Amino acid sequence: MRNFLKEAGALLAGLVLVLSLLPLSASAQSVDDIISRGKLVVAIDTTTPPYAFLDANLKPAGFDIEVANKMGEALGVPVEFVTVTSPGRIPALLTKQVDAVISIFSITPERAIQIDFSIPYAGQSAVVIAPKSMQIKGNADLVGKKVGLTRGTAPDALLTAAVAANPGIEILRFDDQPALMQAMISGQIDAMGGGDYGEIYLKRAQNGDAFEQKYVLKTFYFGIGVAKGNDNLRQWINTWLFTMKTDGTLDALSMKYRNQPLPALPVF
Amino acid sequence: MQTALQFGPVLVHLDLLLRGLEKTIQLAALSILFGTLIGILGAVGRSFGPRFLSWLIACYVELIRNTPLLIQLYFVFFSLPLFGFKLSSNTAAIVALSIHLGAYATEILRAGIEAIPEGQIEAAKSLGLSRYRIIRHVVLVPAARAVYPSLSAQFILQIMGTSIVGAIAAEELTAVANNLVMQTFRSFEVYIVIALIYFVLVQAASLLFAGIGKLMFRWKV
Repeated sequence: MRNFLKEAGALLAGLVLVLSLLPLSASAQSVDDIISRGKLVVAIDTTTPPYAFLDANLKPAGFDIEVANKMGEALGVPVEFVTVTSPGRIPALLTKQVDAVISIFSITPERAIQIDFSIPYAGQSAVVIAPKSMQIKGNADLVGKKVGLTRGTAPDALLTAAVAANPGIEILRFDDQPALMQAMISGQIDAMGGGDYGEIYLKRAQNGDAFEQKYVLKTFYFGIGVAKGNDNLRQWINTWLFTMKTDGTLDALSMKYRNQPLPALPVF
Repeated sequence: MQTALQFGPVLVHLDLLLRGLEKTIQLAALSILFGTLIGILGAVGRSFGPRFLSWLIACYVELIRNTPLLIQLYFVFFSLPLFGFKLSSNTAAIVALSIHLGAYATEILRAGIEAIPEGQIEAAKSLGLSRYRIIRHVVLVPAARAVYPSLSAQFILQIMGTSIVGAIAAEELTAVANNLVMQTFRSFEVYIVIALIYFVLVQAASLLFAGIGKLMFRWKV
């Protein structure tokens, strides 16, 4: 009996220790809960420039960070950031460690099984970029041309699929963005696949003005993720995003960080 | 967390890896051939050429031996087009790799040439051999024989050096492997498979170089 008590005591002590080590869960459910708690907890990923990165003072900055801060402003509470990795975004919501995920969270039906998305607040397209002098309107126009891309990116998957339908497109895969840019600038490739903000970087090159976006391969829409079934918060976010869109705040942010307006953002 | 190794998704794409291997062998073989030619001409020019040529070759050797191969690749692929020489990924890789090996081969062969005793050359002269025959038979062949082990070690390094030319979009073995990693997310398995392929390739090449050495330098000293 004494042994049992000892064991139970040790077990209890261990349990308390484990529980105290667990991160405090932000279990606020409704907008009221967040306001009464006095802070908004948002998951971000600071490795996704220009959407979220660490500035010169190692403070989070970027498009997503400003959206999060504006959300806190609208609710009248300060924002607490929790840094997550890309695969950590859904678990952060499932374990209720954060109220919302604002981290280039593409809206997909697979993800919507586990969490809920707001209407899109931003979008980004995988596009084909080529010299202005070149007539390119679609994948078919790339036949017989050298198309560069960065290994393993969205344009890689989309253009590799395009080769199957349009044999004769020659794909050159580079290891990183600088090499791809250099290939485009030096004329080693005729066209390149990249993000729609890729132009910003090209424009810094000597002959950067000679290039333009030709067509969109696919557009990804970013929503704010909330826990499954948290309609109270999701509905408030949708309403707030509606006002941010209609008063031009989101487009201004896009110009600031992406050097171009947002694509049209459909709603659901 | 899944720790079990799964080679299935990798071995399905073995044909892609073998095509990459073919490209690797092609890059290595051609660059070793051209690099050795550059090395022979470089070493002879450095030792027996006019002072200016000798100085020029010394500059080439120092320039190449003191800069990374990756930068040399970038230069040939990205910078030469600005001067009007646009080479494809493959050609640029072969050119850069040959120039790279050429510098090392020049230096290795020159060391062999310097080791030839002055008396041996003087003896050849007094026998009335022509300058060409002296350089070829009395200097170059014994020099190559003396430094052949270092030279073949450099060739092995050259084979492994081809693994970075994926940086300029040449689809050799490592580049193909990186594509596969992005497709299958089985990085550990992919790298194990290509490490094995490289191991077999380099072992085979070592045997080949040893065999060539035996054939070329048969006679006793």
